[in-house]
Amino acid sequence: MAGKAGTTPTTYSPSPTTKKTKAPLFKDDDVDWVRPDGRGFPQCRPAFFRSGAVNAASGSAYAEFGNTKVIVSVFGPRESKKAMMYSDVGRLNCNVSYTTFATPTRGQGSDHKEFTAMLHKALEGAIMMETFPKTTVDVFALVLESGGSDLPVVISCASLALADAGIMMYDLVAAVSVSCLGKNLVIDPILEEENCQDGSLMITCMPSRYEITQLTVTGDWSTPKINEGMQLCLDACAKLAKIMRSCLKAATDSQE
Amino acid sequence: MGFPNASGDLSSEMEVDAFRRLFPLQFHERHLAESIRPDGRPFGRARDTSIALGAVASANGSALVKIGSTTMLAAIKMEVMTPLLESPDEGCIAIDFHMPPICSPIVRPGRPAEAAPVVSKQLSDTIASSGMIDLKELSLVSGKAAWMAYLDIYCLNADGALFDTALLSAVAALSHLQIPAVSLNDDGKVVLMSEEDGEMVAKEPVNKEKRKLTLKSIPFSLTCLLHKNYILADPTAEEESVMETLVTIVLDSSSQLISLYKPGGSVLAYTSAIQDCVALTRQRVKELQSVLDEANSAMEVE
Repeated sequence: MAGKAGTTPTTYSPSPTTKKTKAPLFKDDDVDWVRPDGRGFPQCRPAFFRSGAVNAASGSAYAEFGNTKVIVSVFGPRESKKAMMYSDVGRLNCNVSYTTFATPTRGQGSDHKEFTAMLHKALEGAIMMETFPKTTVDVFALVLESGGSDLPVVISCASLALADAGIMMYDLVAAVSVSCLGKNLVIDPILEEENCQDGSLMITCMPSRYEITQLTVTGDWSTPKINEGMQLCLDACAKLAKIMRSCLKAATDSQE
Repeated sequence: MGFPNASGDLSSEMEVDAFRRLFPLQFHERHLAESIRPDGRPFGRARDTSIALGAVASANGSALVKIGSTTMLAAIKMEVMTPLLESPDEGCIAIDFHMPPICSPIVRPGRPAEAAPVVSKQLSDTIASSGMIDLKELSLVSGKAAWMAYLDIYCLNADGALFDTALLSAVAALSHLQIPAVSLNDDGKVVLMSEEDGEMVAKEPVNKEKRKLTLKSIPFSLTCLLHKNYILADPTAEEESVMETLVTIVLDSSSQLISLYKPGGSVLAYTSAIQDCVALTRQRVKELQSVLDEANSAMEVE
């Protein structure tokens, strides 16, 4: 019944693939357009976090921002791979993958190499690697459904999972992105907005220390716009970290 | 484990958790002798089971299923294909079972779990041989176009009884599946009918309305663990790793046997043991059927 390799017929999705002919979200001079989900420009989607989603892992967390749904499991600290050289500080190993049904058209469900590298870079500055010498902490993320701003959600969720696993960190890492659409900055963009953005900016930071672990800017930005975008992100990160912290507190309270 | 008597002497002074990790077999056998399992269940009881339909918005049908803490997410995406020459009036179902590295410490990225392809194959075989789905219902235009249903099951949390949970999530997703309304466009391709589309008259509708598949004889399964003379229904991952003989029985809603797996193991299964397993499965089928019916009727109310 399942198509054998080689004999699987080629298939296509019946949903329209000509996205480019679709009307843009807003007209060039229109400053008062409404976002597809009715949010204001500087308004984030409601964030939901729950720690301890996977009991086989040392720590885990589930995050849901609108249609973006992510699970992150943390394993370890455990033995490093045999081929690894001796190291008196610990190692961090990350992986981000998508389910085949995460995207509107069916994907291959393969690893996302770029996000894997970005997740690693965003977290390594926050973790006290010297607390687990010779061993590795594995952070694996699975995007169950992609609804836009996937990477920031994965990073925030991963730091919550690390905290749930009891890995020592300087602070929680919160991540938020903004998209530049014409003259406007929209925070926490959904998929539709990301598809027609002129530029994007993502900040991952440790809000209580006011330190940035990663900053990415792509596309067309003017200096004042970058400043405005960064301020927006930093404010949102601080709020996000509060939500994450209350999730951790709620988890420990329910255990007692 | 070099000293068989050592555990007996130590168990009184050792902490429970340490005893559990160092002498897992003795730990479990102590429980079995008292007719109870470490999680407090009697032998024949399966764990609490829940089904949530429509968990994935981007899919045509989906279900999140939990048996105890084993969690699986199944979703179906419908695509269009040219039917095979030998069966021009039939669609196709491709079932894939995934164990991503998040679900268990055993799985690492780039090194897929051994269990995944095995469960995948068992699922395809079970669903094909149960005759649950009439593939003709997936036909669109004879010889030209038919549905290909991609059913992907992701294990989010692996804690034993993987096949049971996978099968239940597959069945639940199929029961939630809505086949979208489509029409033929000028190029002879099948496209979605959009409601606000004014040009609908010009197009030739192939499947006018959203519809559901008719499911006949739904298969349900129960995995039992055999150890000495004990039969443990619905084992956890810990029980599976300590005592290794598993029997999986699949029955349909009218208690007809669909398949029976006993993949090796150190315990030989006698007729009486198999009969006991079948009896347990019969009870379990009733439970699962009512859980599924409940989930479906909850969807209709909404």
